[in-house]
Amino acid sequence: MQGLKISMAAVLLMGSTLSAAAQDGQFAGKTIEVVVPFGEGGATFVSAKFLEPYFEKHLPGNPDIDVVSRPGGGSILGANWFEQNAKSDGTTILFTTSSTANPFVLGQEGVDYRLADYRVAFSHPFSAVAYVSPSTGITSAADIKNSSTPLLYGGIAAAASDLPGLLSFEVLDIDVRSVLGFNGRGPVRLAFEQGELNLDYQFTPVYLTQVVPSVAEGRAVPLWTGGSMVDGVLKGRDPIAPELPSVYEVYEAMNGETPSGIEWEAFQGVASVTYAYGLTGYMHPDTSKEVLDAFATAAAAINADPEFQAESQKVTNGARLNAGPNTEAAIKAALSPSDEVRTYLRNLLSEKFGVNF
Amino acid sequence: MIEPALSALDALFDPIRLAALFAGMLVGMVFGMLPGLGGVAAVSILLPFVYYLDDYSGLAMLLGAISVVYTADTITSVLLGAPGSPASAPTAIEGHALAKKGEAGRALGVGFLASMVGGLVGAAVLFFAIPIAGPIVLMLGTPELFMFALVGLFFASSMIGKDLAKGLAAACLGVLLGVVGPAQAAADFRFTFGQVYLLDGFSLTIVALGLFGVAEVISMLAAGGSISHERMKVTKWGDGFHDFWKSRWLVLRASIIGVFGGFVPAVGASASTWVAYGHAIRSTKDKTKFGKGEIRGIAASEGANNATVISDLVPTLLFSVPGGPAAAIFLGALFSFGYYPGPRMITQNPDLMFLIVWSVALTSIVGAALCFAVTPMLARLTRIPFAIIAAPLILIMVIGAYQSTSTMGDIFMLFLLGGLGWLMKHGGWPRAPALVGFVLAGPMEQYFWLTNQIHGWSWLARPGVLIIGSIIFIPFLLSAYRWVRAHGQETALQVPVETDEDDAGTPQASKGVALVLAAIATVLFLYALWELFSFNPASRLMPALTIVPGLPLALWLLVRGVREFNNDFERDARELWILVALVAYAFVVWAIGLSIPTGLLIAWMLLAKAKMRLWTSLIYGGVVFAIIRVLFELLRGDAPVGALIPLS
Repeated sequence: MQGLKISMAAVLLMGSTLSAAAQDGQFAGKTIEVVVPFGEGGATFVSAKFLEPYFEKHLPGNPDIDVVSRPGGGSILGANWFEQNAKSDGTTILFTTSSTANPFVLGQEGVDYRLADYRVAFSHPFSAVAYVSPSTGITSAADIKNSSTPLLYGGIAAAASDLPGLLSFEVLDIDVRSVLGFNGRGPVRLAFEQGELNLDYQFTPVYLTQVVPSVAEGRAVPLWTGGSMVDGVLKGRDPIAPELPSVYEVYEAMNGETPSGIEWEAFQGVASVTYAYGLTGYMHPDTSKEVLDAFATAAAAINADPEFQAESQKVTNGARLNAGPNTEAAIKAALSPSDEVRTYLRNLLSEKFGVNF
Repeated sequence: MIEPALSALDALFDPIRLAALFAGMLVGMVFGMLPGLGGVAAVSILLPFVYYLDDYSGLAMLLGAISVVYTADTITSVLLGAPGSPASAPTAIEGHALAKKGEAGRALGVGFLASMVGGLVGAAVLFFAIPIAGPIVLMLGTPELFMFALVGLFFASSMIGKDLAKGLAAACLGVLLGVVGPAQAAADFRFTFGQVYLLDGFSLTIVALGLFGVAEVISMLAAGGSISHERMKVTKWGDGFHDFWKSRWLVLRASIIGVFGGFVPAVGASASTWVAYGHAIRSTKDKTKFGKGEIRGIAASEGANNATVISDLVPTLLFSVPGGPAAAIFLGALFSFGYYPGPRMITQNPDLMFLIVWSVALTSIVGAALCFAVTPMLARLTRIPFAIIAAPLILIMVIGAYQSTSTMGDIFMLFLLGGLGWLMKHGGWPRAPALVGFVLAGPMEQYFWLTNQIHGWSWLARPGVLIIGSIIFIPFLLSAYRWVRAHGQETALQVPVETDEDDAGTPQASKGVALVLAAIATVLFLYALWELFSFNPASRLMPALTIVPGLPLALWLLVRGVREFNNDFERDARELWILVALVAYAFVVWAIGLSIPTGLLIAWMLLAKAKMRLWTSLIYGGVVFAIIRVLFELLRGDAPVGALIPLS
């Protein structure tokens, strides 16, 4: 958290010096196209629409922002379109999640986009919380290995947004049977409510609006969050549910030592682009420093906007935008894992989940 | 319950909200009528405007669009034979056959009234969402959903038709199309040939438009003249009301089937429409008219599709899980207005819940009335030379297809599948089982896999499974009993249902085309068999289930085709040339962008096919071209840019 504060302070400082320069109206009269490589009703699209008015208000010159959905190929088609068509003046943004990052990191077929070369304009956390059914007899994270019934997790596909969740089970070494092949996280939650599954992960808005009421009614027991970045380690508590430990803390409590090794490295890399930098706005590799700085300034101004603060309190428990060099460095590091991590991920996915590369 | 319901009605009768509702309804009607563009396109085009309105008006606008699309699509399906939306393909089969006989008025009247009833049943279900519908949705676990898919398959078997081998082969081919793309069970991508385009599998819109729409347009274009050679009696609605009243219970049953279709998350209206259509066939004594213009087929499918799209809102509002694609966008709009659906929202915002119910109910009635009102005008379209309508129709289908991914792949796929649909139509393969196989392949595989993973085999004893299973087994036992009894008296067996669709235009299957199609199917199945071995075992089941019967059937049809072959390609040569021209159009668009080939296509159709005069065709063609460009802009899929010459 401290690291984040420092970077925020840096951003704010930088912002104030920059706005002194003749930056006014940099985007005046321009339209910024925000490409969302998913469908129109999806969480990413809704988040982009949520941020749209704030960027229109705080970017210099008050540009028009146009959120465009380009679904297909599990987000690969939209990202490939961006690779071919993005402009380098900051008027095309690829706003996406780890569903675009994972196929890139794993080197899947059909990926034409060079995500690690892209510049990062801004990023918004997309936290996730693990929870179980009370029927397992589990009452807290420490209990996770004492389930009275076999743990059953539902997901969509191992190599997509389920990857960090599945890796967290590897890190914590819990015996979980994963049933993959659902249509989306919505149907998974429905199956949880129907009692077909007993272990689930849900992302920020759904957690706050759907799972929290279930917890209050005694139909779900929250366990842990993915964590947030502190000094480059994914060990901090997540503001979405500060009362819950992070995966890092759960491991520490279980084993009496800090997590390490290949499982942890893989989890941290994948989980940071899924959770801490879950929704990221990427730009063309040749985007100028002025444009990136303008976005960093706007992000800081949005974070300080009382209207944004009030709205985000409702939707994300007050999550804030990240931008600037530190954010970009962390995302780029996660997008270029070491060969060992990559090999570990590919082996795990092909041996345990039958993914073909 | 009554008080919030009344105050919501009061809130809706605010002039701005009513205006928003009806504006949405008009957009929904237009998009319902445009083939390939449906609820999703209507809602996404309205979405930006919604944010300028207050929450109730904005949501009313979207609901107006959603609840009228499946009423208005009846018009296109009946008059033009191209399904206005994928879920109205059965209406296109039956309604268009009636239209050709000059009975469009009957078909449309029944379609509108059935749609209205479907909408009202959906609204009633929404009204009782908390006490009744919610618990039902929670009872439908994956095993029950799998059983629903089986019931669908069982009903679909009624559509196989007279030629058993061709009907079954068509169904297998449909399932094979349905398993392209991601396997639900394991992380395999099946039959994608390394193309990112195929990673998501085929789009339902494109398959429905290709198999039915393109093939229909080609035939009508080649035949020349107008759609109906007889004067259409659309001004007399009396027959329609009479027919509707005769099949009122069927409409109600179909609406209930549709409601259940809506409860299933992420399964759109297509599946339940086919199930309702199958139910209509099963429950009709004289089955000979199916495929040739049976009014009961329209009644059932129109009742079902409208009920589905509205009850799609039940899981959306109670559990935040969109019941279908248009509901998903509606959910996004709810989020944007700060409403987070769930059991809590309904107790916290009862007004909103009832506003939704009233909006849907009101639009269902007014929408149907408006459809009645505009139809006599639209029906005149069927008297003018079809070639004049063909150019905009084909281009709108291209735009509809292009909504899936906004890549060239959509356009190629439309005409490739159009070619397949054309071959099937002329080779005597029924297309309905192919589309049903395509629609059901995904849910069947997914729910079977999930069910077995979660429950082992214990799911077979679940009460819900047994109840749904009885829908299949009771009629099965009954007919077995009848058969045994009848067998003693040496009476004829129950004759298989004949649904050889729209054979009015093609009196007999072309031998040459049948042979070509059998050869293509054989190659496809052989290739599929070869690639099958590279999948994870869990991903092999569904393709294997279709290849095992499909390959021998295709081989048998190949042998039969060779034996019966005679060179009768000449008969369909005109149509073949149009097909070739359309495929060529796709390639030229790929090479040099949209504008030039589109202009040429319009010119060719108007001058060569419709024999319009130069000046008239210049003006009319210019207008069509402008509208197409504007639609591309409006729907935000920027027009395809040429790969060789980068024009757009």
